[in-house]
Amino acid sequence: MKARIREALYIGLFDALPLLRDPMLLVVISLFSFLPVIFIFVFADQASAVQSLIGAIVLTFSFTGLFASQSVYFNKQWFRFQDMFVASKVSPASYALGLSVSGLVVALPGVLVALVLLLLSKSATAAGVLLLLGTSVLLWIGLVFVGFAIGATTKNARRANSIPQVLSIALGFLPPVYYPLERLHDIPIAQAVAMLIPTTHAAQLAKYYFGLISIPAWQVWVGWIYLLGFAALMGFLASRRAHWVDP
Amino acid sequence: MEVVRVEGLGKTYPGGTKALEDVSFSIDKGEIFCLLGRNGAGKTTLLRILATQLRPTLGRASVLGHDVLADPKSIRPHIAVVPQEARPQMLLSPYDHVFYMCLIRGRTRADARERTRKVMDELGLWEHRDKLAADLSGGLRQRLIIAMAMVADPEVLFLDEPTIGLDPLGRRSVWSMLRALTKKGVTILLTTHYLDEAEILADHLLIVDKGRTVFLGTVEEAKGDTGVGMRVIIESAAGNGAGPPEVLEPRSAEEILSIVERGLRERRKVTFKPASLEDAFIKIVGGSIESENT
Repeated sequence: MKARIREALYIGLFDALPLLRDPMLLVVISLFSFLPVIFIFVFADQASAVQSLIGAIVLTFSFTGLFASQSVYFNKQWFRFQDMFVASKVSPASYALGLSVSGLVVALPGVLVALVLLLLSKSATAAGVLLLLGTSVLLWIGLVFVGFAIGATTKNARRANSIPQVLSIALGFLPPVYYPLERLHDIPIAQAVAMLIPTTHAAQLAKYYFGLISIPAWQVWVGWIYLLGFAALMGFLASRRAHWVDP
Repeated sequence: MEVVRVEGLGKTYPGGTKALEDVSFSIDKGEIFCLLGRNGAGKTTLLRILATQLRPTLGRASVLGHDVLADPKSIRPHIAVVPQEARPQMLLSPYDHVFYMCLIRGRTRADARERTRKVMDELGLWEHRDKLAADLSGGLRQRLIIAMAMVADPEVLFLDEPTIGLDPLGRRSVWSMLRALTKKGVTILLTTHYLDEAEILADHLLIVDKGRTVFLGTVEEAKGDTGVGMRVIIESAAGNGAGPPEVLEPRSAEEILSIVERGLRERRKVTFKPASLEDAFIKIVGGSIESENT
């Protein structure tokens, strides 16, 4: 078990190494999902900025999950390192875990900065932070599976770059993650569509646990069940698409 | 001692493409076994099945006594692969690649440092250790991929077109490295399009075409079986503009003598070219690329 965790960590580190070797790029990527927060802070009130900061944390996790697709694609089809790992004692679980956590290594500095800002805004509690991280990690797991399914299915480098970026707009910037769901009250169809998107549920739960919005208990349950179901469904999809040994 | 055994191996891809059909052979310890064939002949498919990366659909294959389908986990710690068209990560240094491959393969940090130095020295990469892979020549990048495989200290090494992109000296350094490995008892299976490489390296070779075995044996047997003999080329001594050279295949000493006499009489240059594996390959596979295009 210890050997497997070590394997996974080194695979993750090796995958993240190009960014870790270039701190400037690391800062840009790490803070990418926090940039809208600055605009909201400037053009709206502090309460909206805190909501968007929580949304940005949720999205940082979801983007790193989604962008696992690039690691999967490039290691398999471009560098062909996956073939080298298959023909070694590396286990498929270590490999999958390594590629999944490599994104987190890159995202961690941004998340830490955001948590510090939340503490400074005096709206953070220990339980709130834990539940925020809980919903974010659950969403991240689901989107890592999406990333694996996409990365294993994509056959060219252009698509490997564009698909996760298009999805990140659809999952991150369009639904009510940075902004409150109430903004969509006047457009019932948009609100219904937003409730089909997993990032909306994760953001709603996180904002609820920070006491920034109030939602009925049944909606909290629906949120968790939705995120669990999404992760399970995407896990099933990834297991059908991503192969260690090719069929 | 038999290290690889393949019996009636077949592979049909999920889309229905038949890549291999009824291939059988064995490889002994310390041997270099070359897989030859045209593009799409099934070489990479066969190599990937033996390296436990791809499932066969028919027949059996075993490496180091373990079945590739039933027991791949017993094979994997003892093998290494240089995949076709593998590329280094351009934003990392050669040292990063080799060192992290050592760590991922389970070596301690101290051991990894030592092994990295040794492998990079052997492949002439040490002086380039801190450059970005993007700044390396094509040949050095290919050597780096080979170095990543070599850290494993494998018993069986699979190389899919390992010398592609290397200059003549680079190819020779890889050849001498492979020969040195076989002296240590490492068994090597390699695919190549360079027939001179196969001629120099192969203890045995398998030529596949459209997924089927068309020849299995030694280089000398390949030349002998196909009846490829010496070639005599007669061309104008004046060089260009005097018409194309004539390529003749004499079957007896008398024929050779008469060609030489003709060359002297006509004041033309006569060159003797010994039979090569390439000649045998073209005969075995059934025609040159030119004849395929016509």
